[in-house]
Amino acid sequence: MGRTVTTATQQLQETEAMLSRFRRMLRRSDQYLLDGLFAQARLHIAAISHTDALLPFEAALLAMLLEQARHIATLEHEIKLFKGQGDE
Amino acid sequence: MNEHTGWLLDFYGDTQDGLIMWLLSDSGERLRLRMNFPVTFYAAGDFNTLRQAWRFLQGKDVSLARTRRRDLFTGERDVLAVTSPNPANVSKIFYELSGIFPSLDYYDADTPLSLRFIARTGAHMLGRCRIQLDGETVTVIEALDSPWELAPASLPLRILELSPDVDPIVQTPGKLTFLYEREEYSLNLDPLRPLLIILKNILRRFDPDLILTDYGDTWLFPKLREWDASFNPNRDRSREMLVRDANSYFAYGQVIYRGTQTHLFGRWHIDRKNALLFREIGLQGVLELARVSGIGVQEAARKSPGAGITAMQMLTALRTGVLVPVVKQQAEGRKSLANLIHADKGGLIYQPIIGVHKHVAQIDFASMYPSIMVEHNISPETCPEHRRREQGKEDVEDGIIPQTLRPLVEKRLALKQRHMELNPRDCRVKALKERSAALKWLLVVCFGYLGYKNARFGKIESHETVTAISRELMLQAKETAEDMGFTVLHMYVDSLFVQKDGLQEQGDFKPLLEAIHTQTGIPIALEGVYKWLVFPPSKRDKRVPVPNRYFGVFQNGEIKARGIALRRHDTCRFVAATQLGMLKIMAQADDPVEKLLDAQIFMEGQLRRLRAGKVPLDDLLVAKKLSRELNAYKVPSPAALAAQQLQKQGVKVRAGMHIHFWYAGNGGKVSEVSMKQINIPRYCRLLELAAEEILAILQDLSA
Repeated sequence: MGRTVTTATQQLQETEAMLSRFRRMLRRSDQYLLDGLFAQARLHIAAISHTDALLPFEAALLAMLLEQARHIATLEHEIKLFKGQGDE
Repeated sequence: MNEHTGWLLDFYGDTQDGLIMWLLSDSGERLRLRMNFPVTFYAAGDFNTLRQAWRFLQGKDVSLARTRRRDLFTGERDVLAVTSPNPANVSKIFYELSGIFPSLDYYDADTPLSLRFIARTGAHMLGRCRIQLDGETVTVIEALDSPWELAPASLPLRILELSPDVDPIVQTPGKLTFLYEREEYSLNLDPLRPLLIILKNILRRFDPDLILTDYGDTWLFPKLREWDASFNPNRDRSREMLVRDANSYFAYGQVIYRGTQTHLFGRWHIDRKNALLFREIGLQGVLELARVSGIGVQEAARKSPGAGITAMQMLTALRTGVLVPVVKQQAEGRKSLANLIHADKGGLIYQPIIGVHKHVAQIDFASMYPSIMVEHNISPETCPEHRRREQGKEDVEDGIIPQTLRPLVEKRLALKQRHMELNPRDCRVKALKERSAALKWLLVVCFGYLGYKNARFGKIESHETVTAISRELMLQAKETAEDMGFTVLHMYVDSLFVQKDGLQEQGDFKPLLEAIHTQTGIPIALEGVYKWLVFPPSKRDKRVPVPNRYFGVFQNGEIKARGIALRRHDTCRFVAATQLGMLKIMAQADDPVEKLLDAQIFMEGQLRRLRAGKVPLDDLLVAKKLSRELNAYKVPSPAALAAQQLQKQGVKVRAGMHIHFWYAGNGGKVSEVSMKQINIPRYCRLLELAAEEILAILQDLSA
């Protein structure tokens, strides 16, 4: 709801807007990846809000890292499977 | 001495003295009775000012006394009691007094008469009672039932239904249909004289208790008065119809329009088209609202549920000797920034996992927020140490809000339970559903009123406590589910969507429900098990989920959708029906992707019908709400353009009104539209967008 305090969703939007000049300078392919990082942070908006942090962007960065870690874990798992198939 | 038993239909202040009461007696008589009913209000504050107020009031027709009464927040305080023998005079005296002495605190001054009556006599609106009369004056009144009866004795009401053949805003009506005692006939509005004679005759001979109309508030009664100034549909012939002007106001983040209202005396008038919740709660729901809240039937039909919950809180206050302040006195307390960040949050909204999911159970906490208020004793005057659960103090007395809500929560759960136990084709199901929906609305708004800036018994800290507890309970539920091996796909305020390999029958989820109930103390119920459920991504970015947008099919074939076109009020019937048709096709399969092609073929068929002009015009009618007054539009939307046409036809257009129109040419048209004028490309686009909402994710998955 958020009556007085800006919600975590709004704060993330504001941070994204603040970084628009940074984003503009990036190559198109990198812009897509950056947008992806913010999309990953949005997957955990409830958790970011739950931290009660004054600056929730730190938690948002953690959320991005978490998603990166998940991707790495998934890829590692798939590599293991492929390797297993190769050994057979 | 005369004695009667029957139902209390209505009560209101007499213009002369006392109170008028209508009783529907067991013998079928409709009795107009009088009762002496002195009314007291209170003033408190600085003694010198109170003394001056006393002197000012000495010349008036009131009796004065110094006494002590309980303020909810400050406790016992000295007050000046002002008692008027005539209830009709109270507001006049109060406004005069508060104008001269604005610094005093006033209590009980604007409490509705019906609530005072209920609190003093123990009888209740639409309740059964026994009365003793001296002439026409009630001397004794004894309540024979309670508003919390699950199956109250059915009221033998006489109902007259009146409806014009068309919506008067769009077209000029030509006929008026009468329906009463299983008789139905239509009469031409031109010539008018025979119609008026017949209507007056029906009112006299059939003598309805309720006139149920379509557009009675906004068209029929104003027109009847315009045609015949002497027309008086009241049963109480000493009174004129009460007409309240139309207004627009801002609530729940949107502009709401309320049309002109016509209230009657001695019988009720309900305009189905101007009653806020009538479509959902029906007549039985309106009667239930009046029964439990104590506000009159005509008010209950038209007012928001917030008025009902306020009335119930006032009633609790009156019954327990707590003063009802005229102006809210509790402002938000001071807190640190860290505390503000911690407290200033709403319910828990999780991000769902995008995709198609099989065998998903949706479980909902039953009346979560009110249950929290009752279980944890959350009320503006209860300090944290009095909040039961966390302190383990089970014997702490209920605060004013839990006292009000406890019977309401219990009754709603019992009604819901009873309705679930019945066969869906049982004739009692409809009434039970309507009554349960009416109580649900009271429970929905009771939480908002805890934090509402004008609520008499509201305090933002209690409001925040409720959401904080709800978030904690949801987390406990999530942890319980995860401990038991479930995947939590989504959580939304009071609902969880969970899944576990191998579980697909309703009974499979029972242990989870029991574990969550034990852990949280709040009952939780299974809404159903979906055969499949889809959480689509955001339209802007396919990687981002949307919290309250989903569609799926339960195992019994029932479709449930949220946040898509068919749920939106501004979607025309044709687009909504097409989207639903696509979902019905997909509902036949165990995996919606299997029926993707069939759904696409159906959609293209609908698109061809639209392009060929074969869709009925009525199915293309769009309803949009005017978000501001017409002159505030810099660039008028199609809805505003359509509203301008209405204004030219003499309709008073106000912000918040729903404008029904067709997309025609480059704008909107409200009447006399032909298929040639319809903006077909725009409707095609709307249809494509609606189809995309459900097809896009499935196409991605099948690719």
